[in-house]
Amino acid sequence: MGHRERAREFVADVDRTRWHDQALWFVRSKRDQAADLVPDWEALRDQASAIKRSALTELPELWREFEEHATAAGTVVHWARDAHEHNEIVAGLLRDRSVRHVVKSKSMLTEECGLNSYLEAEGIEVIDTDLGERIVQLRGEPPSHIVMPAIHLQRAEIGELFAKEMGSAPDLDDPTELTDVARRDLRDRFLKAEAGLTGINFAIAETGGFVVVTNEGNADLGTALPGLHIASVGLEKIIPQQKDLAPFLRLLARSATGQAITTYTSHFRGPRPRSTQELHVVIVDNGRSQLLGRPAFREALGCIRCGACLNTCPVYRRSGGHSYSATIPGPIGSVLETSRDPATHAELPHACSLCGSCTDVCPVRIPLHHQLLAWRGELALSGHHPAWRRFSLNLVAWLFVRPTMYRLLGRFARGIGRRLPPTLREDLLPAWTRQRHLPTIPKSSFRELYRERQRQPKRPRPQAQPRPRHERNG
Amino acid sequence: MVTAREEILERLERARPPAAARPAAMPEPSMPIDPMATLRDRLQDAGGSLQFATRSGWTEQIQWPVEATTLRHVYSSLNAMPGRGVGLSSKTNHDLADLDVCVLAAEFVVIENAAAWQRPGCLRERAAALLATHLIVVANATEIVATMHQAYARIAPSDASFGWFLCGPSKTADIEQSLVLGAHGPRTMSLILLSD
Repeated sequence: MGHRERAREFVADVDRTRWHDQALWFVRSKRDQAADLVPDWEALRDQASAIKRSALTELPELWREFEEHATAAGTVVHWARDAHEHNEIVAGLLRDRSVRHVVKSKSMLTEECGLNSYLEAEGIEVIDTDLGERIVQLRGEPPSHIVMPAIHLQRAEIGELFAKEMGSAPDLDDPTELTDVARRDLRDRFLKAEAGLTGINFAIAETGGFVVVTNEGNADLGTALPGLHIASVGLEKIIPQQKDLAPFLRLLARSATGQAITTYTSHFRGPRPRSTQELHVVIVDNGRSQLLGRPAFREALGCIRCGACLNTCPVYRRSGGHSYSATIPGPIGSVLETSRDPATHAELPHACSLCGSCTDVCPVRIPLHHQLLAWRGELALSGHHPAWRRFSLNLVAWLFVRPTMYRLLGRFARGIGRRLPPTLREDLLPAWTRQRHLPTIPKSSFRELYRERQRQPKRPRPQAQPRPRHERNG
Repeated sequence: MVTAREEILERLERARPPAAARPAAMPEPSMPIDPMATLRDRLQDAGGSLQFATRSGWTEQIQWPVEATTLRHVYSSLNAMPGRGVGLSSKTNHDLADLDVCVLAAEFVVIENAAAWQRPGCLRERAAALLATHLIVVANATEIVATMHQAYARIAPSDASFGWFLCGPSKTADIEQSLVLGAHGPRTMSLILLSD
């Protein structure tokens, strides 16, 4: 089942689709308000994009530098070629220290690696501590959004879940009270855990340190109490210098949720001196070096996982994160997941109207919709398209080089199209267009209209008058 | 056998894109005309509150999140506000879960986002800041910077094994985008700016 089919199921519930759409648009508008308060916003995006682009050209040097400084500070650095090696390294560290209870803060990388199920198979209890992640973990679902994992759920569903799992009152649906139920449940687990796992938002070559950001404080509680902290990081997350954090931290929270900064922006550099605390960093490739070797797509490695492209995407908002069936949904996910596994995700670059809104909001200026278009081309050439898409694309290609046939068929389609009931026409299109109406099909083509115009006597052209700037807004 | 490290570095070498220079530093944004008004607004957005007091006697001047005399367990890194209860006597950090208040000294405050830069003196202090129900962060009113650019100019790369920017109480909006203060950590946060 592809994105189209799952999206069709999602939009079958009209009210919920509208609710989902509006919840995400609300976050997008908060992003706009926050960005508007920063006069140098566009310069910040340029700066962040340039830092990432240059960092991608010196990854071997930056990671060697990181390793040297991290090791000097007492951090143990591990390298993992793929998801399995990553999981084995983490499991090995926990096994050696007889760890049975682990608290984990949000990390898309560990989702990508399937770490939770790997550790659970070893008999280790893994508790996701981000509230949204905890909710989807209890439901046995993957996150549907990279910043707001439970954005697809409504309060009553969460109340029902907590009643079953945490013994709260069954009719509880107030977000404050529900959060409080989870807080009490998770507080005990924080206190019991023997190890804390986190992701990394930014690794800094110059210091061998790294930054983790959260609003809930779960990454901090999870690493301040237990004696072992393991942080997993993808190869793309490194920046050269500490001062480079400034543009990224100014962009990240504003782009993600419209906050000027997250509650906690924590800088780790080695374990606490004179303590028994251990700090391990696992550097993971898992296909990233391969993506680096593809000039058309490598800029996607600059992604800082803010989720702004998801919040603004008309397809994501109307089809829900789960319809992508990928660790990372939305525009950036469609690029990254297709790069990792083109055979499985070949339909994702088509879950896009090429409106370009993702590219407009991306804080590091990844040309997302251009990459999605480029992917479509690649997938067509490499034979990853399903037969029906191959057939229709070949038909169009054949038609576009035969003008007479094109004109003839155009006239035919206009004639038929105008007579079909609009609902039937729209049923032929993917489900996420359900909220849209097609424009009325015109009687004549542009060519016909133009010819008719040429036949009429010439009228004097109206003089174009530039309007003063202040009028344009009014 | 080739180690994972060697192989990954080799893969990165093979895929290396053509050189692109590091960008020059951005022009530094200037301080807003009324920094304290911006600071108050940004902290309010983040669910925190801003208070002003004088260095001597600030503990009597500020409004405490709950009646100051009822606070049983206090962790404090400032002499003006002595700690009491589990904050002093407990053997393990886990006992700090009962803390009512944690009082910390921040080095400076960033105006554009109301974040206070703080370096916990020990692991215990970090745990206290997370486990206490109320967080009070104290800084000098003169120690302010306009944006994160100026903030990092003040933080030496080799400083300390841990430091953080703190802004407001811990929070979440994971249930239907409704903002809830007090996710795992403090339910309230006050930033106290001291002057002479």
